[in-house]
Parts: sequence; C-alpha cells; structure tokens
Amino acid sequence: MKEQLSQNAEGGRRSAAEKVLRETALVMAVGLVFSLVANQISPRGLALTRNYFPQEIGDANAATLSSAQSPSTPGKSKELQWVDGPQAIQLFHDSHLQQGRIVFVDARDEEHYLGGHVPGAYEFDPYHPEKYFPMVMPACQAAEQIVVYCHGGDCDDSKSAALLLRDVGIPNRKLFIYSGGITDWSTNHQPVETGTRNSGNLSITIQ
Amino acid sequence: MTNDQPIRPVAVVNLFTVLVRWLLAAVFLYLGLTKALHPVEFLKLMRQYDLTSFAPFLNFLAALLPWFEMFCGLLLLAGVAVRGTALALTLMLVMFTLVVWHRALLLQASLHIPFCAVKFDCGCGTGVEYICRKLSENILLAVLSVWLLVGRGKQFCLRYSLYRR
Repeated sequence: MKEQLSQNAEGGRRSAAEKVLRETALVMAVGLVFSLVANQISPRGLALTRNYFPQEIGDANAATLSSAQSPSTPGKSKELQWVDGPQAIQLFHDSHLQQGRIVFVDARDEEHYLGGHVPGAYEFDPYHPEKYFPMVMPACQAAEQIVVYCHGGDCDDSKSAALLLRDVGIPNRKLFIYSGGITDWSTNHQPVETGTRNSGNLSITIQ
Repeated sequence: MTNDQPIRPVAVVNLFTVLVRWLLAAVFLYLGLTKALHPVEFLKLMRQYDLTSFAPFLNFLAALLPWFEMFCGLLLLAGVAVRGTALALTLMLVMFTLVVWHRALLLQASLHIPFCAVKFDCGCGTGVEYICRKLSENILLAVLSVWLLVGRGKQFCLRYSLYRR
C-alpha cells in the first residue's frame, strides 16, 4: 500500500515537472513571436539582417595625419584618415567651411546632437542612416573634406558613420575622423551650437 | 467574543508569493522597457561580450531580449503560466549572470583590480554598476524566480497554469 502511494506521488511529481517544462517551452515560443512582432512594429526596432558594426579594412593601420601633413592631401588607400583637435579646429576656421567645401558630420544620436554640436555640423546617426541620408549626402558629395566625429574616447560611431558614407559612394579621400570628438572640441573651448543645425544658438559648453 | 483570528502561515506565504510575482513583473517590465526604448545602445553593450561575430544573431538577441523580458513581466503581472514563466526567467538569469561574471573576470584581469571594484554597464538596463552588486541582484532575482517556480501562491492569477488537471 505504502509503495503504491509512493509510486503515485512520484508519478504526480513527474507529471507536474513535465507540465512546467511544456509550459516553459510554450511561454518561450509565444514570447519569441511576440518579441519579433514587437520589434517589427516598434519605430526604434532593430533591423535583424543589418550589420551595425562594419569592420574597416586595414583597421589596425588606420592612417593618421601628422601635423605637418595637410588634411587637403589625403591618402588614397582604403584606410580611414584621422584628424586631431588642432587640425579639426583649423578646418573649422577655414574659409572653405562657409562655402560647403568642408563639412562636419555629427555621428551621435539626436538627443546628444541637439544638446550641442559643432556649429553647422550635419546630424548623421549611423544607426538610423536612412533618416539622415537625404540631408547629408548632397552636402558630402559637394564637400572636399568631411570631418566626422562622435563623443570621442572609445566611441566608434564616427568610424561607423564614415564607413557608411564610404559604402554609399563618398570617396575615402574626403573622409576624416576627428578622434577627440565633441569632448575634445568642448575641452578646447570651441563654440557649440545647440538645437537644430544653423539654429544660431551658440555657447561654449555642451548641455 | 472577539473577531481577531490568528494569521495562518499559509496565508502569509501566499501573500508573499503574490508580492514576489508582482515585484518580478515590475522589475522585468522596467528592465525590458529601458532596453526596448534604446535598442541600439543595448546592441552596443551586448557586443562587448563577444558572443558571436555573426551580426544578424547579435541583432536578433538584442532585438528580442527586451521584448521577451516585457512579455514575461506581463505574464507574471497577470498571473498567466506563472511557473513556466518563472522557469524561463530563472534560465535567463542564470545565463546572464554567467556571461556578466565572465566579462567581469576579464576586466579584472586586464585592470588588475579587486573583483568587486570592477564596474561596467552590463547592458542589464541598470546602467554602470559594481559587479558584486550586480551579481547579488541577479542572484536575488533568480532566487525569487525559483520561489515562484516551486511556490503555491495562486491568488490574483488569471490562469496560474496553462495545463490544468
């Protein structure tokens, strides 16, 4: 009798465990479908097949412009080129900037861009390029030098943005990454513009 | 004659279970929403773990995890498939904890600092945190999930189990 009860209890436990496992599998399956649909519907959803982190060819040997080398004599290789703080500031004060032959491209998200960017810089979030291509592409095509920046430091969004621009046909020789980014710009007491492009709201510190 | 009746231990446990369920629901809804609102930021943080070099798989994980967390949060809030959801959450928490722990060990080795001094944004939805605190939080959440898994509190549940006897 005791053995019978023990067997029944054991069977009950196994049955309960099976139910939980089946329920878990169902929760995961329905959750997967729910998540896929939600990601598709969400305006902020990720594109599942897109590579958000394109790798640069010759990444380790990326070219850096020396102080003596003019940014106007860019390299011809597929490597990305870099400018430091003084070079970026020099380009900003170059008369070619007003003529659109030099453009700055801000690779941060909209919130940070509105909080303060290099005056006149174009907004280009590389994670939502389709939103910014119509405005940025004509400017980049017309420009001779394009300075792309993000926060600076270990931020690699400027690189992603430059690679994206290169992928859609902007010649590599035009593209320069400002490695110090907006942090370096601000540290050097350069003016920043808040709000939209050419809003005219200039200040020295970013918000 | 008095109306005072002794509080039964079972009632206390049941009440505690309901509170645990709602707490976990709130936590996972919050964590999921935080990530779903900034999926690209979450994707960048996930990349630090070097889980895969296959971009679509990383996108898949980063796109689905926040919504799945919210889905589980909603199920717990409503009290639907509670034990199945609790097991799914427990499995996720164990995996997350292992991955975060491994990342912290790598950081500790490269920075030459005590383990508990390591702090980074693990992509968990709580920002930059000291690793020991993060691990403690994860373990607590896992314990609470296990409590739901083995517990009996069925109060305020729309459908406690999908497979009724």
